[in-house]
Amino acid sequence: MRADHAPHVEEAAVQEEEILTPEQLAEVWAAEAPEPAGPVANLLSSLVALALGMGGLVLSLKLGLGTPAEPRPGMWPFVVSLVVAVLSVVQIVIGRTGGKDGEKFSAYSWYAAIGFATLVGMVLLMPVIGFEIPSLLLCFIWMRWLGGERWRSATMYSILIVGAFYAIFIAALGTTIPRLF
Amino acid sequence: MKQKITRRVMLSLAATTAALSLAACGGNVGGGSADGATFPSGPVTFTVGQAPGGSTDLIARAVAEGMAEKLGVAIPVVNKPGANGALATEEVAAMKADGQNLVLLNASLITITPLAVAADEAVSLDKLDVIAGLSQDDYVMVASTKSGVKSVEDLTKSTSKLSFGTTGVGTGSQLAQALLLAQAKVEGTIVPFDSGSPALTAVMGNQVQVSTVQLGEAKPQIDAGTVTPLVVFSSERNEFLPEVPTAIEAGYDVPVSQYRAIAAPKGLSAETKTALVESVKAAVAKDTYKSFNESTLLTPKEISGEEVVTEWNALAAKYKKLTEQYNISLASN
Amino acid sequence: MDFFGPVLDGFGVVLDPTNLLYCLLGVAIGMLIGVLPGLGPAATIAILLPMTYGVEPVTAIIMLAGIFYGAQYGGTITSVLLRIPGEASSVVTVFDGYVLAKQGKAGTALGIAAIGSFIGGTVGIIGLTFLAPLVAGFALDFGPPEYTALALLGILLVATISGGSKIKALIAAAFGLFLATVGRDIFTGAERFTFDNLSLADGIDFVPIAMGLFGLGEILYNLEERHRAAAAPVAVANVWPSRKDLKQSSGAIGRGSVLGFFLGILPGGGATIASLAAYAVEKKRAKDPSRFGKGAIEGVAGPESANNAAATSSFIPLLTLGIPANATMAIIFGALLIQGVTPGPQLITEQPELFWGVVNSMYIGNILLLIMSIPLVGLFVRILRIRGAILAPITALITMLGAYTIRNSMFDVMLVVLFGALGYLMKKFGFEPGPLVLAFVLGSLLESSLRRSLLVLEGDPTGFFTRPISGTLLVIFVMVAVWPMVKTVMNKRKKANALSLETKVKEKV
Repeated sequence: MRADHAPHVEEAAVQEEEILTPEQLAEVWAAEAPEPAGPVANLLSSLVALALGMGGLVLSLKLGLGTPAEPRPGMWPFVVSLVVAVLSVVQIVIGRTGGKDGEKFSAYSWYAAIGFATLVGMVLLMPVIGFEIPSLLLCFIWMRWLGGERWRSATMYSILIVGAFYAIFIAALGTTIPRLF
Repeated sequence: MKQKITRRVMLSLAATTAALSLAACGGNVGGGSADGATFPSGPVTFTVGQAPGGSTDLIARAVAEGMAEKLGVAIPVVNKPGANGALATEEVAAMKADGQNLVLLNASLITITPLAVAADEAVSLDKLDVIAGLSQDDYVMVASTKSGVKSVEDLTKSTSKLSFGTTGVGTGSQLAQALLLAQAKVEGTIVPFDSGSPALTAVMGNQVQVSTVQLGEAKPQIDAGTVTPLVVFSSERNEFLPEVPTAIEAGYDVPVSQYRAIAAPKGLSAETKTALVESVKAAVAKDTYKSFNESTLLTPKEISGEEVVTEWNALAAKYKKLTEQYNISLASN
Repeated sequence: MDFFGPVLDGFGVVLDPTNLLYCLLGVAIGMLIGVLPGLGPAATIAILLPMTYGVEPVTAIIMLAGIFYGAQYGGTITSVLLRIPGEASSVVTVFDGYVLAKQGKAGTALGIAAIGSFIGGTVGIIGLTFLAPLVAGFALDFGPPEYTALALLGILLVATISGGSKIKALIAAAFGLFLATVGRDIFTGAERFTFDNLSLADGIDFVPIAMGLFGLGEILYNLEERHRAAAAPVAVANVWPSRKDLKQSSGAIGRGSVLGFFLGILPGGGATIASLAAYAVEKKRAKDPSRFGKGAIEGVAGPESANNAAATSSFIPLLTLGIPANATMAIIFGALLIQGVTPGPQLITEQPELFWGVVNSMYIGNILLLIMSIPLVGLFVRILRIRGAILAPITALITMLGAYTIRNSMFDVMLVVLFGALGYLMKKFGFEPGPLVLAFVLGSLLESSLRRSLLVLEGDPTGFFTRPISGTLLVIFVMVAVWPMVKTVMNKRKKANALSLETKVKEKV
């Protein structure tokens, strides 16, 4: 793919000032789109789905199946898990030549991982010290490091945002969100 | 409709102002606010174990309105549906006994549900202080017009196998119907629905021939003639349906009704309990509440908390005996 | 007169000041998120669900519907000004809209789009008004077997018509069905897959799933994706289209509206497919197709009318059959269930105020859309300059705190975060979250209807085929299931003469 993953492809394309036909435009988009996830990712994700299906089968068996005429609670989940498992096997087989869907992980995927970590941190801290400080930290991390804002604007906006949330959720709506102040 | 909207707007306004005054009190993490010397010390949360819009929810909102006026604080109704209300009841029962949290109890949860679920999942009245009883809601058995069934007698004579809709596992609808069918020796397929409205719609379309549902839900269709009432399960004839016989009159020992009461976590102080009882009394005495009862076809049963406990425990024992006698299991249907 | 009574009462419901206010709020939020690339209407509605808890069902749905069709128009603005489609349904608007903007006619393009949206939306509502009672006339013939067939068909259609791998979509759908079985079994009272956790005894709540998969999933994905920088918007001059432009696009608006209406009704269809089809139709009909892509006003008018008409008509299967046609409708379905309203054939007779209130609010919403869009374009251009870096934490916090307020439970917040990670990973590995959410919503309906049918039919599965409605639905089901195979065979014969425009656009989407 010719465009690689340079972040400013779009700007460059615009500056060309050329009028593109829809077909050309579609091509530019296709070139800009991230690379598909590929066969390894397909295999891995299908295996995870297969494992989920198998897990479902085992748990459903424990609930008891009964007969189609008189089903026990496990019958329906068993059928559904079976569909997951069988389709996963099909996907492993037909997707082995390299799936064209999905997206490869890039260096920027770490941003999503860090984002997820901060969210988990917030869930753990909120019941202990209230939502204000975790929210402030989350805003700051997302703006300064994940968003590339400057120190000053990141600090300022974080405080403003948390203040606004306090005003809306606590002062105006009177919700019972765990809070420090 | 419009009235309801303005009422809700008013309530939420009241709740907002109350919350605004509370917001100055500071954080709520770690320990919680332990200032519960006076009651009420803020908005009283009224938990309902059923979804919004159902009859239980409407009753809670109607009472809450009058109680809020008497107590002088907002009483927001919070819906936590699940497991016939067991989830909400367990949750409130575990809260602090300061009167700030109330729950609306359905009798079926205490008297019938234990017959359908494992012993450790059942809810008992021991964990609660019952404030007051509210009203009685009757079950009626209705048949589709296409089925040609017009009375309980027709059921026993029917040559084809009929299907019977219930409003769910562990409900009064299921128990009443199962007891009646067992005593009348009628064979049929029991089809559980998840609530009253689909069970009734299924009868209207003759998808099932008979269903047992709550009167409030069935009355418009009975009046419109789209379904035929067979029998009511109250011990005396229902004032809103005087021409329909009770099951007892028809010769079957099936006294099943839905009763509702207000309860709080066990261990209320005497003053708090008195304040709550007084507020309920004031609420049920209001004309708006009385006309609410009438429009939703509820029979008032405003008895004391102690009476509620005795009556409900007696009913629970009776149902247990009857199900054992006729060898009925609510869970396996 | 019987027919118009409830319709008119519905207008009474809409004109209630509270409802008008929420309608306005919904349309404004919808336009706003349409303008901001990244979050789609499904994600926004999922994130804002908690806001609708304290209000009446009618009011809540009026607002959510407003968000949905407002977003269809908002997406146009970025398509025209930035060459970035704010919504998937505005992708084709880029082709001619952006070129028009470059030629200094951004205002004309936006104006025509607004007028087209208005007419398309209105056509959709009129169709909805007359078609819905027709479908609802069959209400009582819908027994458990019919609901089983409907739910099966709905899940299959959405899984197979959505872009990307069909098998992966079906896996996601089946997993959604599995998640729906967690909690108490309504037939036996037995607990399933709850691992003795009281918070799960009730089943997994729909809202954390939707908020996580759609909301947080997209937010996390955008953290990564945002680093493809955006261009500066083109300036907007005169917004009012000239008489000549109007005349030139009137045919396109008419065709787009009708086409969009019918494509919107189909499950799995909806606004995106409608706009693609309308563009193709306009190009084919034109005397000089080469004008397209070089600033043909019909290329904006047709698709924009079509996407709004389709957004409206996709409410028909939801409100009359209880089957959501796409992911956004699945969330509105969930919102209705939470409010204690079960959409289905009996809705129109049992709750006419709700039904007609929602339908008629769309007339008002469309008028609001037209009034607001033209003067507010300048404001939206300014909003486009707000940096994504600042918006991201705001949306994340709204999601987290909103999730808490639903049941005052940290468990729900944790679920949202976990499903957010799942949503992100699904996207990376080519699994659509839409079919999962939709199947989850329909899961308990499908299982209970199936089991109920088997009870009523006394275990005889042929009964499904001998009943007229369920039989027809199942025949359609089989046809839909077989169709992709027929198509692959046909495509192989045609030989791959490169990729068609449509599939490429879908990839971008």
